[in-house]
Amino acid sequence: MMTAGQPFQILIVDDNPLNLKLLETTLAKDGYHVLSATNGPAAREIALVEKPHLILLDIKMPEEDGFQVIQKLKENPATTTIPVIFLTGVSDIGTKLHGFELGAVDYITKPFHPREVLARVRLHLKLSIATNSLIAGQAQKLKQITEAQTSMLVTPDMVPRARFGVYYSALQEAGGDFYEVTPISDEIFGYFVADFSGHDIQTSYLTASVKALLKQNSAPVYEAHESMQMINDVLVEILPEGKYLTACYARLNQKTKQMTIVNAGHPPVIFVPLEGKPVRVDMQGDILGIFKEVYFGSHTMDVNSGDRFYLYSDGLIESSRDKTLWTSGSNKLLAACEDAGSVSIQEAPRHIVQLLSDKDVPIEDDVVVLGVEV
Amino acid sequence: MDLKELGANLGLEASEFIELVELFLSTAKKDLQKLREAYQSGDSKTVAGSAHSLKGSSGNLGFSELSVLSRKAEDKGGEEDLSGFEEILDAIHQQIEKIESCLMEST
Repeated sequence: MMTAGQPFQILIVDDNPLNLKLLETTLAKDGYHVLSATNGPAAREIALVEKPHLILLDIKMPEEDGFQVIQKLKENPATTTIPVIFLTGVSDIGTKLHGFELGAVDYITKPFHPREVLARVRLHLKLSIATNSLIAGQAQKLKQITEAQTSMLVTPDMVPRARFGVYYSALQEAGGDFYEVTPISDEIFGYFVADFSGHDIQTSYLTASVKALLKQNSAPVYEAHESMQMINDVLVEILPEGKYLTACYARLNQKTKQMTIVNAGHPPVIFVPLEGKPVRVDMQGDILGIFKEVYFGSHTMDVNSGDRFYLYSDGLIESSRDKTLWTSGSNKLLAACEDAGSVSIQEAPRHIVQLLSDKDVPIEDDVVVLGVEV
Repeated sequence: MDLKELGANLGLEASEFIELVELFLSTAKKDLQKLREAYQSGDSKTVAGSAHSLKGSSGNLGFSELSVLSRKAEDKGGEEDLSGFEEILDAIHQQIEKIESCLMEST
């Protein structure tokens, strides 16, 4: 990256010593630091070591010609972003097109006028600076989003009375999966796990919106499915076309020992009673954010102290390699959830992920597992 | 031929341009030598190559007459028709000498 006061370095490559000298003189007069090479291999070596800000390259050279030089520069990750302007005869349209195909940013026809060279060099340096700052800006923005998203994720020690444990791993810098734990009253807690369709910057902005919606709409006066309904209504308005999310919302009343589960097109919650075998809480439900008229499956059950629930995203059991879907993968999941009974609820989600992950297959999707203990 | 003016056209100081013209003359003489030898041995390909080089460097410095002559020589080499080439060689030689004497005057 350029800093103020540091001269731009331009590499000139031409086998004609006069052209080299003319370009050198012209560019040096304008404050550029000039490097020069009279053949392709030397040019590539200098490009690699010095990382010039721009390269002026003659096409017609003996042995390794300019085309070969561009190609090799573009193939090398260390030099691929350096803009290349090539020098060519005025009438040679084939050369010009081929140069562009190989990744050059511009050409200068020979005989060239030094002022034209200066103008083009300036233009492409400006474009290069703008592109670099754009990329840096976007990366910075994404970093902020990731930081913001992680900082927004609630951890068990922040809400100890909610008695939950969580495993969260975002595959990309701004994950499409997320979860939330919301205290509704002293004894009532909401647990939410969702998966956005697609992973991109927009998703992360929307994550923040959904979290805000959860907070606003999960007052005790609303039934769990009513909360989902209201969130859906807002999402239909704000989500970009074609974007939706699947979600699972569980509301636990520690006082009355009742758990209500609402499903919006999401894999089923696993219920692990303290005594007995784990079961899937299957129910139908529309996805969130597409339809105004929706139906969400809702189920309320009596629970006992020590019973556990697991909410999770499909990344946990869906592998694109062996096309395992949650229907067939869920038997393994049930077994893993049962096995996790041997560890604390804080440890259980990680334990389940470890049991289910194949050492040889990297995890291919975002994964979130949220465990709740009554 | 005014070297100072030619240099100014390129945005160069007189001293900078003179340095370039000196370099030009040394390469141009080599090109002419090659051109003559290639013509004598009937090597049209080398004729075209040397003329191309001379055309480029003279064109860039603004020696348009020399550039036009070099282009003629290049075309003849490309067409493999070296008839009347002696005249072109002489004209090129004269132009180079003219540039050289201008250089002497201005230094």
